[in-house]
Amino acid sequence: MADYGSSAAPTADAERERQLDIWMQERATDPRVYYAELRKKCPVDLEQHRDSIAVLDRTDIEEVLRNTDLFSNEQEIMGSAEPVIPLGVDPPLHSMYRRILDPLFSPKKMAALQPKVAAHVNEFIDGFIDDGEVDFSTALAVPLVCLTFLSLLGLPTEELDAMVHWKDIMIRPEIVAGSREAGMELQAKTVSEIYMRFAQEIEARRDAPRDDLISYFMTAEVDDGRRLTDGEILRILFLLLAAGLDTVTISLQAIFNHLATHPEAQQMIHDDPSQIDNVIEELLRWETPVMGTSRVAKVDTELAGCPIPAGTKVMVAFASGNVHEEFPESLTLDLARGDKAHLSFGGGNHRCLGSHLARMELRTVLREWHKRIPFYELKPGTEIVWVPSGLRGIDYLPLQWQIAVK
Amino acid sequence: MKVTIDAERCQGHGRCYEVAPDVFTDDERGRGEVISAEVPVHLEDQVRSAVSACPEKAISIS
Repeated sequence: MADYGSSAAPTADAERERQLDIWMQERATDPRVYYAELRKKCPVDLEQHRDSIAVLDRTDIEEVLRNTDLFSNEQEIMGSAEPVIPLGVDPPLHSMYRRILDPLFSPKKMAALQPKVAAHVNEFIDGFIDDGEVDFSTALAVPLVCLTFLSLLGLPTEELDAMVHWKDIMIRPEIVAGSREAGMELQAKTVSEIYMRFAQEIEARRDAPRDDLISYFMTAEVDDGRRLTDGEILRILFLLLAAGLDTVTISLQAIFNHLATHPEAQQMIHDDPSQIDNVIEELLRWETPVMGTSRVAKVDTELAGCPIPAGTKVMVAFASGNVHEEFPESLTLDLARGDKAHLSFGGGNHRCLGSHLARMELRTVLREWHKRIPFYELKPGTEIVWVPSGLRGIDYLPLQWQIAVK
Repeated sequence: MKVTIDAERCQGHGRCYEVAPDVFTDDERGRGEVISAEVPVHLEDQVRSAVSACPEKAISIS
């Protein structure tokens, strides 16, 4: 973001910020090329990641994710003053929360939600299919994911616009507000708004439980036989909002951008729709929409021979581990390859809680879309701009197709 | 072929029972469970696919 402050000469800090922004844009535009270049220098990056060092090799990434004695997740995430649950909590408390949360996001639970998601996808497609073109992002990728979230939580669908606005402020406040500073301020204000809004929803269910996640949280018993406090429920709900929306949206954008520019991939799905799962797994690996996550070193340690002092923020670069010379076959894209243990949902005890929800949503969109619009392309002349953030998405993704003659 | 899942390593990615549904199933939390430790010959390829799909390297064959 441009700095319109009154000081004339840019300070060293401003220059550093400007350079970091350039690196972030390069990384979002093509993480494969970006990280291959970084790895030529060193398996640990000390320079190009804001406020943190980054580990680039798979072995080190896995060590950081799994070794919870050395690396903690207790850190501020997206402006929440209280640690969010379960992402901002370490074991053993973390394990206690995951024991009640995992069953709610299991593949079987997500399968039960699938028909509703399929119906939503088809309603959105009904709205634009006869136009022969659409901005995939604003017409499907964003609203579908928010609507699914509302259904899951049991919030009214009229909240859709508010939800879209909130998640934008959570994920990239600096872009919504126009500068990094204004963004921080807006985010802080919005976080308390979100907490207040969710507190009202809890209150509304106090005497009249419903068949939804919020009501479940209010009756769930944790290990020691006690109920979750309102504060804990709020910290869970906040995380679901902050982590569950943009991640699926940007995955849809990355996948459809690839498919729209690769007719042979559309043909493959058309000829054999059962390949959709393989296509999704391979594109999640290749595109790595969520490029990494971070931990904090609890004690002085080292990674790849590099000393890591206690308190250092360590970013594990999934995008680097997913496409890496150490695994030569990972350097090429093969949509029929089948799942090869990518890191796109993280790993270790903080493995993405919503991974089964995400996969269900991605599969449902691909299946329903390709049934109705099997062949499509990027609108000619479109220049794809990747959002320069650790979550790489495409805000504007115009697609077009032949309108069926009736 | 015999197959086991290391319950300490498994984090519930759910890849094994997706890739090899005749060999693995999911528990209430979405973690993998072996249906039958003794793998029939015709399912051995499924098991190998599951081993290479597991991000936690939690599946062992012997």
